Amino acid sequence: MSLRLRLILLALSALVLVPGFGSVIGHIPGFGSEIPAYGELINRIGPAERQVANMVSAINFDIRGLDTLGEEFMLLAAIAGTVVLLRGQRGTDTADTAIRLPGRPLVPRAEAVTLVCRIFGPLIAVFGLYIVLHATVTPGGGFQGGVILASGTMLIYLGEGYAGWRRSVLSGWLDAMEGGGALVFTLCGLGPMLVGAAFMENLLPLGIYKDMLSGGLILIENLGVALAVTGGFTQLFLEFMEETREPAAGEDTPSE
Amino acid sequence: MTPIMSALPFCVAAWLFAIGLYGIVTSRNYIHLVGCLGVCQSATYVLLLAVGYRWDSVAPIFYDHPPGTPAVDPVVQALVLTDIVVGATLTALLLVMAIQVQKRRGTLDPEELAPMKEQQAADACKGRVAEPQR
Repeated sequence: MSLRLRLILLALSALVLVPGFGSVIGHIPGFGSEIPAYGELINRIGPAERQVANMVSAINFDIRGLDTLGEEFMLLAAIAGTVVLLRGQRGTDTADTAIRLPGRPLVPRAEAVTLVCRIFGPLIAVFGLYIVLHATVTPGGGFQGGVILASGTMLIYLGEGYAGWRRSVLSGWLDAMEGGGALVFTLCGLGPMLVGAAFMENLLPLGIYKDMLSGGLILIENLGVALAVTGGFTQLFLEFMEETREPAAGEDTPSE
Repeated sequence: MTPIMSALPFCVAAWLFAIGLYGIVTSRNYIHLVGCLGVCQSATYVLLLAVGYRWDSVAPIFYDHPPGTPAVDPVVQALVLTDIVVGATLTALLLVMAIQVQKRRGTLDPEELAPMKEQQAADACKGRVAEPQR
């Protein structure tokens, strides 16, 4: 399809859609005047019902936990697809170096870089854990904390080099974290059904308001999501880095 | 608050979506196309947060403010949060597909990747030399 044809199609569909867009925008309640009733209701009853200060976590892991379960599996499917498409026969060998352009000099890593990475790697890991653990009281939770934890592992690559990174970040563990996190979340949904409650009903003791361990089942689901996101994102980094690695002799390239 | 000001965030969302869509339609490179998709997706963030915003409200986290303080809509914030995470992994998946397309066909231009052209390329290849079976 030529560029001109594509643009004509776009213009035609815009002609159909733009009046609709304009009408919808005109009928939305003015910006900043009121919020949807559902959110208003959750804000009003949420803290008392769940002993949780962070309403976003309460929605993600409890009130609309079923939706997050679906989203969790989307995450799992996207990462599984990435791994399947990229891995081929490699991904288990850990001793290789990343690919280099021939002729480009190999600059040795400065000791300062290694030092900074060794200092900040654990700090970022602690910060990520802090964000994960305080999901129910302050802004944060498994999604945000998990991404911070996964980013922290990149410092190992920066500080220790490719081989060191592959030795310390094990692919099998990442798979287990990713799948295990989704499993924990699913079991949190199915567990209450064993005692006759509804799917994902929050049966655990809710704890004290503003306490780190408040929210009951929310805490476990949050941990499951943190595991899945950490494992999944680190797995993504690993697979993309693997793509830059020179295949060892006798190793199959990914089948085409 | 003039009507124009109150419609501005929604117009920004529509504009982001429109330029993202334009980029997708005119794209000549899959990496660029994935970037345009990200712009389209940003429109949803702006739209959702604009729908849930209210003047003189706090964030929906009742730690410093007692419960009952007027707060913005937490539902759209939860939506945006999961949207960002899933969007990031889907971008990764699309980029992987771009890598595989580059490996198989040697190009990332959607024009060059039309199915008919693949057939022509395969025919030309067959006529010239029998490709070894993988």
